[in-house]
Amino acid sequence: MRGLMHGYIGAVDAVNLRIGRIAMYGIFVLMGILLWSSISKTFFLPSLWTLEMAQFVMVAYYILGGPYSIQMGTNVRMDLLYGEWSTRKKAWFDLVTVLLLIFYLCVLLYGGISSTAYSLGYWGSEPTSFLAGILIGTEEVGRLERSPTAWRPYIWPIKALMIVGMFLMILQCFSEFLKDVLRLKGEDI
Amino acid sequence: MSYEMIATLMFSSMMLMLLTGQRVFGAIGFVAVVAALVLWGDKGGYDLGFSAAMKLMKWYPLLTLPMFIFMGYVLSESKIADDLYKMFHVWMGGLRGGLAIGTIGLMVLISAMNGLSVAGMAIGSTIALPELLKRGYDKRMVTGVIQAGSSLGILVPPSVVLVLYAMIARQPVGQLWLAGVLPGLMMAGLFILYIVVRCRVNPDLGPVLSKEERDIPRAEKLRLLRAGLLPIIIFATMMIPFVNGWTSLVESSAIGALAAFVSAVVKRRMTREVFENSVRKTLGITCMFMWIILAALAFGAVFDGLGAVKAIENLFTERLNLSPWMILILMQLSFILMGTFLDDTAMLVIVAPLYVPLVGELGFDLIWYGVLYTITTQIAYMTPPFGYNLFLMRAMAPPEITLRDIYASITPFVMVMVLALVLVMVFPGIATWLPDYVYNKP
Repeated sequence: MRGLMHGYIGAVDAVNLRIGRIAMYGIFVLMGILLWSSISKTFFLPSLWTLEMAQFVMVAYYILGGPYSIQMGTNVRMDLLYGEWSTRKKAWFDLVTVLLLIFYLCVLLYGGISSTAYSLGYWGSEPTSFLAGILIGTEEVGRLERSPTAWRPYIWPIKALMIVGMFLMILQCFSEFLKDVLRLKGEDI
Repeated sequence: MSYEMIATLMFSSMMLMLLTGQRVFGAIGFVAVVAALVLWGDKGGYDLGFSAAMKLMKWYPLLTLPMFIFMGYVLSESKIADDLYKMFHVWMGGLRGGLAIGTIGLMVLISAMNGLSVAGMAIGSTIALPELLKRGYDKRMVTGVIQAGSSLGILVPPSVVLVLYAMIARQPVGQLWLAGVLPGLMMAGLFILYIVVRCRVNPDLGPVLSKEERDIPRAEKLRLLRAGLLPIIIFATMMIPFVNGWTSLVESSAIGALAAFVSAVVKRRMTREVFENSVRKTLGITCMFMWIILAALAFGAVFDGLGAVKAIENLFTERLNLSPWMILILMQLSFILMGTFLDDTAMLVIVAPLYVPLVGELGFDLIWYGVLYTITTQIAYMTPPFGYNLFLMRAMAPPEITLRDIYASITPFVMVMVLALVLVMVFPGIATWLPDYVYNKP
């Protein structure tokens, strides 16, 4: 059982670390798009795509970087009481409250799934099975949602990316949960 | 259940969740989605959390956030500001308390190059602090100077706090930034005044530099003055296109980030380690902010849906019969009080959605309130037991500075800041004159 937990933690942390390390350089992509936007605006015709593309990159940046930020421990906690506790007590509290955090992320994920299904032209009440159907080829894509701007990009890719990011976030939080379990069993992590 | 009851219940369960020490975004987000599910579960309550993410994506000025954070980290990690410190050192060292005054000047310049207080804090405590201690400056005064000075980072443009405020208050960021300029300079002036007076009364606090250290050739002195060009150039490349309307705020922030990055490269400070640290920390801090805002937006949406603001306004004005000014003062007091024990970032995004609409309902100018809000946040940043700056200071300061020193050092500066807050409240013109002048040119 312990081996399994270690395996999960190792695998999830490694995947999220790699993804986070790639997302980290998104800052330069974002910067490049914005700089191109100001150059093209000043010297040529303003580009239509820059504003929305920058927004998409920003979303990818913080959603995909989220699990890595959890690993780094940059997400602030209110340490009025927490700061004074022993490692064991911290682990006990985290063990319970991280489940609530996972619940929040699951609700986010479900909202994301139904919103992505909508952007692929599905209006029914079973978005999860619709998306699964798309993946295995039993469902047809309907009318695709586009952004109501001059550029009119499709919306589904960014929403799909957000689903992936939120799913990775859930995996990472579950890894934190397992780490607390191991800590309570007396391991040093 | 009445709306006020639901609002109170949500607020108290959030506080309880925060006390458990779980990550702030988790605590806020959990309460928000549970409330949404209970209230409107069958009518779209489940996708309230995700629609906050879409709202967040479409909010354009938020793109400045990673840019300014990156700028701040490039400045602090690469230490390109150290000859800036030398400049003040040489030019101000001859005065009583001159190095402390120079440090305030340094902080103002750094504030003009980045939007958070972290960079000022890092540069102040690693470069200025050891020098000042070596020269026999009183450690409590010096610690206070750096903490107070670095907090100007969020008031002087560019300011990340004002960007967040603008999002919540739905006000233009440009005007808010301009509104922060004069109060920021006024506050710096008040700090300097305080230092001058203290050092006059008690010269031991800030001794004049020794004769040989002051004996620097004029040519060298003038050469050092060139260091002051850097912040001016960075600030100008960023602000001139923006104020003239050539680029948008977001594009300017990217130009600013590029300018900071290029100057670090040109000065040969962009080592592999500096690069790695600034890129990684930018991701960490940006994620922290974005996930908290994401959760807070969902929380705010539930509040909006409940009409809780209207209910609270009624409670104050009709049932308790308070005048708008009394409510405003009470709000600022409670804000400072909360700031002492609530995490500052959380406070920023939780309290604001509740307070800002209320201020609007009461008929106050939201640009002006933005400045009050920021000054109050500054105070909250510094007040024990839980100030962000206090922790940073403890982490960065040399070991001879104890936590007790840090706590003791801030008292006079917090009082100066409260004075500045009162001044801006009584004379709104300090904040509103500049944006009015620039945006309503005849």
